[in-house]
Amino acid sequence: METTTNQLPDAHDYLDRVIQELRALKAPQKDTLVGVLQYLSDHIRATRAEIGAIRGSGSGDQLFGSTADELEEIVTETARAANRIMDAAETIEGVAAKVDPASAAALTDAVTHIYEASSFQDITGQRITKVVRALQSMESKLQSLAGAFGRADFTPPAPAEGDAALLNGPQLAQSASSQDDIDALFGDVAAE
Amino acid sequence: MSLNKNMRVFIVDDYNTMLRILRNLLRQLEINQVEEATDGETAFQLMLKMPPELIISDWNMAPMTGLELLRKVRAEPKLRHIPFIMVTAESKTENVIAAKQAGVSNYIVKPFNAETLRAKIVSVTSVPA
Repeated sequence: METTTNQLPDAHDYLDRVIQELRALKAPQKDTLVGVLQYLSDHIRATRAEIGAIRGSGSGDQLFGSTADELEEIVTETARAANRIMDAAETIEGVAAKVDPASAAALTDAVTHIYEASSFQDITGQRITKVVRALQSMESKLQSLAGAFGRADFTPPAPAEGDAALLNGPQLAQSASSQDDIDALFGDVAAE
Repeated sequence: MSLNKNMRVFIVDDYNTMLRILRNLLRQLEINQVEEATDGETAFQLMLKMPPELIISDWNMAPMTGLELLRKVRAEPKLRHIPFIMVTAESKTENVIAAKQAGVSNYIVKPFNAETLRAKIVSVTSVPA
């Protein structure tokens, strides 16, 4: 029998047929062998179901697609926040040029610390990028594994209902409602 | 040794936030002639047109890394003499050794503070009296 990773579902069926044929034999030694083969068969079936569940929890072919999107959104959000912090710091620096020397020195010193601390965005961005790459690598390996095991025996988890269905955390930018959208739902006029 | 505030500095980093931080810290040091790029190849082409007096570059960039940019700068007769400071989160010993072998002038690990930046700039650009 030629068995490659691409033919594992066939191999599993073949194993089940061997078990059936062994059971039909009258040899007294068959029980141990049947027990071992049955264990292997059950184990393969359970593994296929678990891998099927992993595939089913992702959207389409991307197992961790939404997770990677969430992480990349963190990078975008922190960049936006860091730039707003620096906008404010630059404004303070401008004010520092117009006050007495002692106050100016104190303000400039504080602004320097703000610039230094703003590098958190670069550091966290690089770390998150590493995590995204690791997820993409895991996704690729799991796709190969899932392909080898075939689609099988998977019941997708029931979608959340009631209040639990409303707990999704912060929305990604492309799927989020703006404050104006929400105000429109309430019939409010956007704040001036 | 003092700081030459009139020097032209070229900064390279793929994070705009870090470019802005560097530019602001350099401005606080009264270094105002600052050019920048977000990738190594663009930086190299711009530097060929107008060679700076100091290069400050990130390491982890794509498609050209800071290390590749450093090697390219050191191989280019018009640029090879320019002090090159690597500012990076890559802090393993082997990284520092590789950068030294490629001819880096100094090395700053992120996150860094303004005083470290000033001290490294002074150390690579000053001529001892």
